[in-house]
Amino acid sequence: MEEIKIDLKNLVKRVDTDKMGDFITYDESRCDGCGRCALVCSFNLWSLKEGKARLAPNYREHCLECAGCWEICEAEAIDFWYPKGGTGVVIEYG
Amino acid sequence: MEEYDVVVVGAGPGGSMAAKTAAEKGLKTVFLERGREPGEKNSSGCGLGQRWWKDYPELMEKIKDLPSARKVEMVVINLFDEHDRLRYRSGTTGSDLCANRWPGGMDGVSVYRKDLDPFLAGLAVSAGAELRTSTLVSDVIMDDGAVTGVKTEDGESIKAGVVIAADGAMSTMARKSGMRNRWGGGCTLVPQLDFSCDSKRMDDVIGNAEWVWFGPLYGTYQVNFRDGFHIGAGQWLRPDWDDKPLDMMKKLVQMPPFQAMCRAIDAKPREYQAHLLPWLKKPPKTYTAGMMLVGDAAGFPCPLEAEGIWHAITSGKIAAQTAAWALSKGDVSERKLTEYERRWKASDLGKEHEFGEEFVNLWDASVFDPKLMVRQVQLLLEFSMLHPFSIVFDWGDAHMDCFNQHLEHFLDLIPEFGEFGSTYLKPMARGIWPRNVKHVLLMAKPRVPVLKHLSDERYFKVMARLSKKIAPFLDPGAKQDAPLPRGSL
Repeated sequence: MEEIKIDLKNLVKRVDTDKMGDFITYDESRCDGCGRCALVCSFNLWSLKEGKARLAPNYREHCLECAGCWEICEAEAIDFWYPKGGTGVVIEYG
Repeated sequence: MEEYDVVVVGAGPGGSMAAKTAAEKGLKTVFLERGREPGEKNSSGCGLGQRWWKDYPELMEKIKDLPSARKVEMVVINLFDEHDRLRYRSGTTGSDLCANRWPGGMDGVSVYRKDLDPFLAGLAVSAGAELRTSTLVSDVIMDDGAVTGVKTEDGESIKAGVVIAADGAMSTMARKSGMRNRWGGGCTLVPQLDFSCDSKRMDDVIGNAEWVWFGPLYGTYQVNFRDGFHIGAGQWLRPDWDDKPLDMMKKLVQMPPFQAMCRAIDAKPREYQAHLLPWLKKPPKTYTAGMMLVGDAAGFPCPLEAEGIWHAITSGKIAAQTAAWALSKGDVSERKLTEYERRWKASDLGKEHEFGEEFVNLWDASVFDPKLMVRQVQLLLEFSMLHPFSIVFDWGDAHMDCFNQHLEHFLDLIPEFGEFGSTYLKPMARGIWPRNVKHVLLMAKPRVPVLKHLSDERYFKVMARLSKKIAPFLDPGAKQDAPLPRGSL
């Protein structure tokens, strides 16, 4: 029998991603370039360029809304609030 | 502006229980959920443990019949060695004490949140609470330092006699009211991977059990539902952290025994989630003027195994009862709401958190220390060789020689845990009930030549004089079935 393979990006359901609004805000001037946001994100939506973190512009389409990036950011450069009610990730088997 | 006695933010288990309790007390109550329906924004292990039978039997009678429910009668621990070989499978929670505690010998129930959350919210609605879905609360209304209501993202203001914040680990209410911001090291991130399965094959292969996969570099829980399961692995989000929690889980998925299990129950990856889970030594302040925090928002998950739903509904209930009391007195000041903390600390919830520091330190230093875990797995495997079944099946030499070789190996491993034991296990000794210490001493008494003729009372007095370490347990004033206070040993 075939080995189980996992394609995580296809295992997340979302609704109305165009209506989610901006739920992650990032203050580059506070960023100390530690890179932990990049490490914590399941879908690599944060990357490090020239000593500063960058958030993928299309993060709404992939973000799990876990807020790991907010919690790990000691410099408090990242703020996370929930997306608009009734939009975003839908967990059917949580 | 609409006005309610109680506004509950969040319709997870904590919020629904708070809304239900408040409505039953005749308070005008609304609870606000950001999802299109309760449960669709929530994930957790969601194995509802034994205590639910003790505290919420009327709920458990119904929860056990929800569509995704699976009974839990034991926990199967799968132990890997440092070479990734599956070496040991063991069951826990299987003693006759566990089996006879609750109706039908049922220890617990695992159920998906899509079943549990709407069920609990439905009870609150039946009790008279108003539920609003797809409603995101984005701010608190503050008046002279006190929380007096909430604002939705659409700009609606809702006035509240008391706000109960059940809005999860990232609690907007706690943050906007200035109670706290990040957890700052006390919070874990838990990726969770769900699989669909053939339910009949699960009955045959998995049975009524939770599984745990445990090895030197990972510890992953597997919660089993009627026709699916999910695995999850949490890790504290701290600066020294240098790995993705997700990688632990990916590693487990590649393990041949895990793949074999998947084949046997026709498991297919179905959903991926990740959530924050506060796992704290001590919950921070849980109230401010006009507002109480419950569940994950308050940092209540169990400091030993991080189960949080019982803690959420228990704190939700206590918060609503406190709200009713404070409103009846016409005083919801911060000073008045200290009553909330007093009540939860005096409840079973507080009892669990009494050992928060010891429990979290223990985990931190053991499961989350890969080097020690290699040795710990060896110790556990060797320990498992010392019970009669194992010795029967080790035929490497004459049986009594085998026994002695294993005993020798086990004794050789123990000193490596000396420092670990004195640092992390010893502080928990105060948790042993005095009457159990007395029980052991009485078992030894007939074998102690000089003391065996003394009365029990006199014998305990002599023993207390002989050992300062056991003296606090023998103090006539010590409560017989409760831990000794911190620092008493």
